[in-house]
Order: sequence, then C-alpha cells, then structure tokens
Amino acid sequence: MMNLWTLFIPELYCLLMAVVFFGLAMSASPNPRRDYFAALFMAGVGVVVALACVRLEGTLFFEAYRVDLFSQVFKVMLAMGFFLVVCLCTELNGIEERHHPEFYLFLSTCTLAMMMLVSSVELLTIYVALELSSYSLYILVPLRRGDGIDVEAGIKYLMVGACASAVMLFGLSYIFGVTHTTYLVEIVQVLPSVIGTPAAIVGLLLMLCGFFFKLAVFPFHFWAPDVYQGAANQVTAYIATASKVAAVAIIMRVVALSGGNSKYLVDVLVTLSIASMTLGNLVAIVQKDMKRLLAYSSISHAGYVLIGILSMSASGYASAIFYALAYLVMNLCCFLVVVKVAHDGSDLKIAQLAGLHRRSPLLAMALMLAVFGLAGIPPTIGFTGKFLVFAAAMEKGYVTLVIIAMINATISLYYYILVVKAAYLMESDEELPGLPVSIPTKVLTVVLVTVMVVFGVFPHHLLEVARAAARALM
Amino acid sequence: MEFANFPYLSTILFSCVVGLLVILVIPAERKMLIKWVSLVFSGIPMVLSIYLFFAYDKAQGGLQFVEKVLWVDSMGIYYFNAADGFNLPMLMLTGIVLFTGVLTMWELELRVKEFFAFTFLLVAGVFGVFMSMDLFFIFVWYDVSLFPMYPLIAIWGSTRKEYGAMKLTIYLLAGSALILPAILYLFVNSGLNTFDIVALMQPGVFTPFQQKFAFILLYLGFGILAGVWPFHTWSPVGHVAAPTSVSMIHAGVLMKLGAFGVLRVAIFLCPEGWQYWAQLMAVLATCGIVYGAFVGLAQTDLKYVIGYSSVSHMGIVGLGLATVTVDGLNGAVFQMFAHGVMTALLFSSVGYIYEKTHTKMIPELGGMSKIMPVASGYFILAALAGIGVPCLASFWAELLVFISAFKTYPVRGALAICALVVGALFMLRVVQRTFYGEKNEQFEHLPDLTFVPGIPRMILAAVIVLFGLFPSVMLDVIQVASVPFINGLP
Repeated sequence: MMNLWTLFIPELYCLLMAVVFFGLAMSASPNPRRDYFAALFMAGVGVVVALACVRLEGTLFFEAYRVDLFSQVFKVMLAMGFFLVVCLCTELNGIEERHHPEFYLFLSTCTLAMMMLVSSVELLTIYVALELSSYSLYILVPLRRGDGIDVEAGIKYLMVGACASAVMLFGLSYIFGVTHTTYLVEIVQVLPSVIGTPAAIVGLLLMLCGFFFKLAVFPFHFWAPDVYQGAANQVTAYIATASKVAAVAIIMRVVALSGGNSKYLVDVLVTLSIASMTLGNLVAIVQKDMKRLLAYSSISHAGYVLIGILSMSASGYASAIFYALAYLVMNLCCFLVVVKVAHDGSDLKIAQLAGLHRRSPLLAMALMLAVFGLAGIPPTIGFTGKFLVFAAAMEKGYVTLVIIAMINATISLYYYILVVKAAYLMESDEELPGLPVSIPTKVLTVVLVTVMVVFGVFPHHLLEVARAAARALM
Repeated sequence: MEFANFPYLSTILFSCVVGLLVILVIPAERKMLIKWVSLVFSGIPMVLSIYLFFAYDKAQGGLQFVEKVLWVDSMGIYYFNAADGFNLPMLMLTGIVLFTGVLTMWELELRVKEFFAFTFLLVAGVFGVFMSMDLFFIFVWYDVSLFPMYPLIAIWGSTRKEYGAMKLTIYLLAGSALILPAILYLFVNSGLNTFDIVALMQPGVFTPFQQKFAFILLYLGFGILAGVWPFHTWSPVGHVAAPTSVSMIHAGVLMKLGAFGVLRVAIFLCPEGWQYWAQLMAVLATCGIVYGAFVGLAQTDLKYVIGYSSVSHMGIVGLGLATVTVDGLNGAVFQMFAHGVMTALLFSSVGYIYEKTHTKMIPELGGMSKIMPVASGYFILAALAGIGVPCLASFWAELLVFISAFKTYPVRGALAICALVVGALFMLRVVQRTFYGEKNEQFEHLPDLTFVPGIPRMILAAVIVLFGLFPSVMLDVIQVASVPFINGLP
C-alpha cells in the first residue's frame, strides 16, 4: 500500500501546503513576511518533490488516476509555475495583508487540483479536479484590494465558468451514453469506432468546451481580458501560466481519445484555432492595458497550441507540450516585469512602461526577449515552440493552416513591438526614479532569460522529454 | 595548410556573439571602452572573412571550411557551416561593412552600449545566414538579423523613424511568414527528415510541382528583403529613417540577405521552380530597375535618392538571377558585393554631411565640393560606381547582367539598359546640384573630413576601385560555384 501512496506524493504535498496555510490563516495578527517565506520555501520544495517523482508510473483509485511521464512532466511544470508565481509575491500589495494566507491557500488547492487534472483518466475525476481548480480561482480573483472591478471580474469568471462546466457535464453524459463507461481507457477503445456518429462527436466537443474555457479558446474567451485586468497581478500571472498549462494537458488527453481519425473533430479544432489566433491578435492591437494585452495574446496562443494538438500525432503532442512550457516561461517573464513595474499592485498601462530601459535595463531586456519570444522570433524558446508546432501541422499536410498561423504571427508582432517601443523608446513625462531590483529578483530574471534563450538555441533535451511524454500519452 | 581544420566560420560568427556578450557586461558609462571592444570584435570577422576569400581553394571548388554538428537529432537539424563561391564574397562584404560601420559611428554618444549590442546581434544573424547550409539555421539567423532593426532605427534614426522602423519590421517579418511554411513544406515532402541543404538539393528529391509551389513562396518571402518591386516600399523609408551605420549595414548587407536567400534556398532547392518562374522574376526585376530610376529622379532628400537607387540596383541582381545563365549568376553575385560596398560608401558620406549640416535636402545644400572636398569626393566616387563607370566594381557586374539579360530577354534587357541611363542621369543631377553650383554660405565654416574619421570611407573606396581594376579576383571565385551549378541543372 505504501508503494501506491508514493505515486500521490506531489498532490499530497500540495494538500499539506494548503493545510499549513489554513493554519496560518487562523492566526490573529497578519504577518506578510512570514507567509511569503513559508510559501516560497514550501513551493520551492514542491518543485523538488515534483522533479523527484517524475519517473513514477502506476495507477491509483480503481484505475481512475494514472501517473505516467506525461502527467509527471506537467506536474513539474505546474509546480514550477506555482513556485515562480510565489517568487513574484515579494510585494503582494494587490491583496490585503490579512488575506495573504488565504491567497497562498487557494493557490495551493488550485495547484493540487490541476495536478489531479493532468493525471485523471476517468470522466468524473476529471470533472471534480476541474471544478476544484475553478473554484479556487473564483475565490482568488475577487480577493484583490480595490474599487469593485475585481468583483465584476470575479462574477464574470464565475458565470462563464459555470456555463462552461454545465455544457461540459452535458457532453460527459453524451460520452457516457455512447460508450457506457466513464473510464478513458475503455472510451478510447470504443470511441474511434463510433466517432463518426453525431452523438459521439457532439459529446466530445461539448466536453472539450469545459477545457476550452480554461484555455480561453474562442468562443470561450470572454472572461479572459476582464479577469486578467480585474485580478491581482500575481493571480493573473497564475491564471495565465499554470492554469493554461493544465488546460493544454487535459485537452491533449481528451483529443487523444478520438484516435486521430475524426475529420469533424479536426475541422472544428482548425476553425477554433484560426478564430482564436485571429481574434486574439486583432483585438490585442488596440489594447492600452498591459494585462489586457497579455489576455488577448493568450487567446491567440491558445490557437497556436491547438495547431499542435489537432495534428494528433506524436510529434504534434510533443510540440504542444514544448509550446506549453515555452509559454509558461515567457509569460511568467512578462508578468515579472508587470509585477515589478506596478509594485503598488495597480494595473499597468503600456504607456507606464515608458523609460523602463533607463529605470531598469535588466527588466527592459527581459521584457523585450519575452515579448519577442511570444511573437515567435528566434533565438528564443517561443520561436522553437512555434517551429515545432508548425512542423507537426505541416507533416499532416495543413499548409493553409500554417500560412494563416504565420500571418497571424506577423500581425501579433505589431503589438508586441508596441510594448518594446514603450519600454525602449518612450520617455515618461515626469522624471521617474530608477526601479530598484533586489538581488533575488535579478537572479530570477536572469534565470528566466537564460532559460528562454538556452532552450531556444538548444532544444534537443527538452524536446526529447516532450517526445517521451507524448509517447506516454498515446 | 596546418590550419585547415580551424573553425574559421564559427570564429567569425562567435566573434559577433562574444562581442555582444562582452558589451552587455560593460557598464553603460564606459563609452570609449565599448567602442574599442566593438572595433576589436568587428575587426576579427573582417580579417577572417578576407582571409577566407583568398584562402579558398579554387582548383578544388565545392564546399570548403566545412563545420557540421548534429543539433537536433529527431528532426535532422545540423549546425552546418561551409563556404563556397557564392557566400565568400558576401561574408567579405559583411566583414568590411561591419567594420567600417562601427568606425563611422565612432562619434555616437546616445545609448552607446545598446547601439553596439543590437548591431552585433544583427550582424551575427547576417553572418549566420551567409555561412549556414542548414535550412533551419538559415531561417533562425534570418529572423535574428531582422528584429534588431526595429530598435536600431526607432531609437537612433531620424525622419519619421518610428513609422519607418515599424513598416520595415512588419514587411520583413511578413516575408519570413512565407519562408517558414515553405521551408517546412520542403522538409516534410522530402521524406529525408533533414534540414541539410546539401542532402535536399540532390536531383529528384522534390517533384516539379513541389518545386514550383515552394519556389514562389520562398522567392516572395526573401524577395521582400531584397527589395523586389512591388514589395520594396519599406526600403527607401527604412533607409532614410536609419542612422548612418545602420543604413550602411542595411542597404549594404541586409538587402543582399534577401537576394542570397533566393539563391541559396529557393534556387538551390527548387531549380525547376526557378526555371518555371524566371519569366516573372525578370518582369519584376525590370519593373524595379525602371521604377527605382524614375522615382529617384523626383527625390529631393539625399537618402531617398540612395534608397531608390538601391531598389534599382537590387533589380539588377534580380534580373541576373532571372537569366538562369552562368554570366547572369556571376553578375548577380558580383553586383550584390559591388552594390553593398558602394551603398555603404554613399550612406557613409551622406552621414558625414548630415552630421555637419543637419540637412540632407538637396536644395538646401549646394557647392559642397568647395566646402568639403574630401567627403564630396567619396560620394561622387560611389555615385559614379553606381552609374556603372568602367574601372569601378559595379561596372563589371552590371555589364555581365545586361549582356546575359539581353540574350535571354531582349525586350526587358533593353528596357533595363534604358533605365540605367535614366539612373545615370538622376545620379549626375544629384551630384551636380549638391556638390557643384552655388555654395550655401551658411555651411561655409564647416570642417571637412579629416584623416582618422575618413578611414572607413577610404577602405570602402579602395575596395570599389580594387575590384573595378581586378574583377577577375572576384569572378574567379564566383565561377567556381556558378559553373557547376548551372551545368548540373536538369
């Protein structure tokens, strides 16, 4: 029995963190420093734990829960995302001090839920894990100290999320009706033979809606801009990174169910992918707020990831995994700059980046590399990710899709350049003081920049891991 | 030959990368130190690229100084650098223009550190494209060379710099949006699972249809950067907006990157596509030559004049490539080199005049040869080279292209030759109105170019004259690559 529980260690560790912060939340006097260091330490250990468990394999809970390389790689990414978001919390001014333990508590439960999500191979387990992560975020979004925009964002998130999960449950019932089982292993044997029937394809698509909501794929993207803007910067950073990575993982699991021979599913995914890319990129052009811009950029990136997934080949899934990691790192780098420049916890207008190259050359450089990475310019990890995704799609003969995606990448370049322009060219009207960057932040920035460049130039090892994970998935 | 295995090409490349990293760690206040570091790290590539040009064994031919390392196993990506008759002149050109460009910006005071850092990034990309024999790396280096243009123009430029910078970046990256699908299309359809150009260019790898489809994407994609009409509009705007050394690198080297991409990727991999689309290439090239010359006539800004003459001259490169003959190829590659050096000298001279007078409008200048005889002399020399005066490098290049074009496409060839006369007319008009005639009293006290700031111009002028007097030095090297290539065509 002991042996089986070791498979569950990363999740148990997250649960432990949640319990610790539940205890801290009980204490009478707020102590932000204590909370921060406790979170930092525990999240750091969490990464180590997830890394240590990366080689485990097995199943748990009556086969409803599978631990394999695919799930473990994503757990490492989630733990890393969590840790890096906690690293950004040195000045957690967006949230009232007495709520800090709760903030960390719900981040922990959300990470726990997402870890469960990437391992679940049974429909109800998937649903429970998804809801746990959503509910944690429903609470985190309106936690922000402020003028009501956070509440608006929170309500919007809850409404859209509830609708999406209702639609998803409806889809689950169809799948169950068609296949008479809730286990993915059994579904995968039955479904490819009935994938031509309307009930199966509708069920699968409705089920995907719940995950598309998480990933903010068109037409489930409406929450993204408002929630990004309304939530505290650190919460947004979490939603934009860890949450997206988990969504990519589960979409891959579900799409892999179809066995790769459903033309309808591919057509629908192609349509959604093109719509997401185009809409996200075009609307991002007019944004003035940095977080809203990143929200629309995330919608377009959801489209790029879908290209990898809809290729439904080993290289396609591998490229999507690589892309998810690349996206995690680049976006965290952007949010690092957002958090540091808007250190009072307010929203960051793009115009407020003016003079950043003088105030902090390091942050300006990190921002430039991150947004050029998001635009897919080499030698960054973002380019390598796009390259792999497009190569996988091309292998399947989707020439038009790749050309449309590349045109989209060119459009996106315009607004990314506007960000660089603000940071490098604009000078602010009043004389702003230099932006002091502490040593740990400097180290973090340098590490993120190095990761972006080094894995962009030497993708070999990371790609091998992604390929192995994709093989585990299939 | 004891240095035969020394990685010369990587040393050239990494000299730029190391230069970039060294500059990044120097504090921004140490401006002189940064400039000297830049000079050293730009000197190494220049010396090595000139050495390679002369050390290349013409009797043996083929690819030499080969460096090949497997990079990504599962996709067959190689770090594969090699030199042949086509890229050696380009490497030498880049080396010379980089070095003289750094010298030209010696007086720079604004954000020195960032300027040279971006310059090295740009040039690393340029060297990478020229020396790489792997499709993946060519694309990577190509994009690396494009995006530093935005900050370089937008921060240090002049005249509508933000508009020019944005237009240029979007245009060029739109080009790469066509190139990447084409590269992936070739990669997937070859069935060889490799990005190695030498493996992919074997006959029979691609069907004629695949070649035609990929060629047109690649031609348009790279052609945007080569200033192919009607996709050239970013080029004069960008040239005008850019600071002097960036204009030099940009017009001198970066536009050649586009033409070289057409040669190395499109023509090498899709020779049948090349023959199929040659007619179209010739039409667009002729349009570019004629259009550039006529629009240039109407300009009053010196930099716009050079910008449009570049469009016209790059049209000559395109026309040479479109002839599908040995002479045409020789002429095109020679013209890339000659035009690069010549434009660099033109921008360098205008840069000096602009720095002193703060204007580059032709009507406001006048009689400059009496005020600044030396600076004017360099401009006039380069302008004469552009017109195609014998004994200067461009003459031979243009001669070769026009002879072969006249044979292959008599009407288009004749049109292009007429346009050249118009081009000569407009250049001479510019020279006459700017450097002769009434001098502007306001500028009379301004100093002329002295010896030390004159060094970069001297180097460029010497190269123009040298290859004008001894064209065979250049042509012999290009021949080694072009003759077997044309003979090997299906």
